Amino acid sequence: MSKHVLHMPLREEEVRQLKVGDVVYLTGHIFTARDMAHLKIRTLLEQGGELPKDFAGAAVFHAGPVCLKDEAGNWKLNVVGPTTSIRMEPYADVVGKMGIRAVIGKGGMGQDTLDACEKYGYVYLQAAPGCAAKLAQGIRSVYDVTWFEMGMPEALWDLEAVEFGPLVVGMDTHQNSIYKTLREAALEKLEALYPEKG
Amino acid sequence: MDKELVRAAIHDTCIRAVTEISADVRDLLGQALERESNETAKSMLSSMLENLDVAKQQDKAVCQSPGYPTTWVTFGEDGFPDFVGEAVADALGEATRKGYLRPSIVDPLTRYNPGNNTGEGVPNIEYQYHPGQDYMDFIISFKGCGAELGNAMKIFTTATLKLDQDFAGLKRFVLETAINAGGKPCPPFGIGIGIGGQMDIASKLSRQAISTRKWSDTNPDPLLARLETELRDNINTLGLGAAGTGGDTVCLAVKIGRAATHTAIAPVAINFHCWVARRAGIRIYRDGRIEKIL
Repeated sequence: MSKHVLHMPLREEEVRQLKVGDVVYLTGHIFTARDMAHLKIRTLLEQGGELPKDFAGAAVFHAGPVCLKDEAGNWKLNVVGPTTSIRMEPYADVVGKMGIRAVIGKGGMGQDTLDACEKYGYVYLQAAPGCAAKLAQGIRSVYDVTWFEMGMPEALWDLEAVEFGPLVVGMDTHQNSIYKTLREAALEKLEALYPEKG
Repeated sequence: MDKELVRAAIHDTCIRAVTEISADVRDLLGQALERESNETAKSMLSSMLENLDVAKQQDKAVCQSPGYPTTWVTFGEDGFPDFVGEAVADALGEATRKGYLRPSIVDPLTRYNPGNNTGEGVPNIEYQYHPGQDYMDFIISFKGCGAELGNAMKIFTTATLKLDQDFAGLKRFVLETAINAGGKPCPPFGIGIGIGGQMDIASKLSRQAISTRKWSDTNPDPLLARLETELRDNINTLGLGAAGTGGDTVCLAVKIGRAATHTAIAPVAINFHCWVARRAGIRIYRDGRIEKIL
């Protein structure tokens, strides 16, 4: 089976074709952003300020890389892997308004994100958790870093990805979520094992 | 005890803890892959095992997140080992400079990150005096913090435990908490459960159980051993799977620690540990012999 490689900037129609369970790889700009960067972006949008990057068609990665400076003072990526995405759930609409087409993370997100995926046309992609050394093989270079004063993990890193993955579509634009389906099935099993009443 | 020798051993143990995962957990991951029937879960588990190899070959951190470091030191007749905190802080600093640990410890309110993985109360050292012990045990564990997002604590009573139904109330709470955690704690996870004391004691027991015991061990207490097996197996029937994207193994181990409590209550703390079990431990004897215990 050939690799399904998507190139950034992603187009809305190609993203809307994806279905939960599809496996994809990404090539192009990937921006890391977690709690502080999302908060900062929301504040900028609310105040009508300018965002530091053009996020149209971009992929946002819930991650904080380990980067080291080489002798010439250039940033080199050491390792990078996904952080727990649910913390960014309050920003479901912000991400849509930014023009993001793919969110990469781990653990899945909630109903607000599922609604925003459908409304704005973006997908949630699950990366293998705890696999930072392997995933780093899909990052060729560090373009630059913004807001480094927020600390290495919370800064906005602009990374050059080459066939970054594999990534599993965990939530698509058609109200399908692997996490939601599994959760509902698990709650049914729980009721059979240890009923709430009784 | 030769302090310099002990300091050097602590340093090496800290570096070992951040560059590999403990062998018992690696073995359990391999076994989970062998019996897995779900294709996505197989791919996730293979990635995890491959990641360990890549990290080793390239001399890199296994995971980008260093988690939160806690150390347990038990000591006896040689007296309080006052040098341990400094030795650990030195090792954390070196590991951070070398890229094994991302600088990730911040002020809880202002979020200020000093960049060296230390701060008020960090490194956290849990000292335990064991009268008559003629050696010192040192265990350090770096526990990821996405896992913390799934944690839960509840003060049970005799009625809510469902003592008359083989603790069905307690078991439901554990499974419900596992469902709510889903893929957040980087499954296949381990779960530490602390039962007893008050809220603080149950929480500490939960972390100690999952961070300092081998995940493949058997609890010497028959009741706890039975509960550990039943909970692990039933959590796995939920179908959540590696990475929380479906499959046969979401939980590699459940480990329970127990302490006496007051007759009115039964505090229960549930503590998730990601599969990246970065911990290492040594026993240092008075004559300088050093033995690996984790």
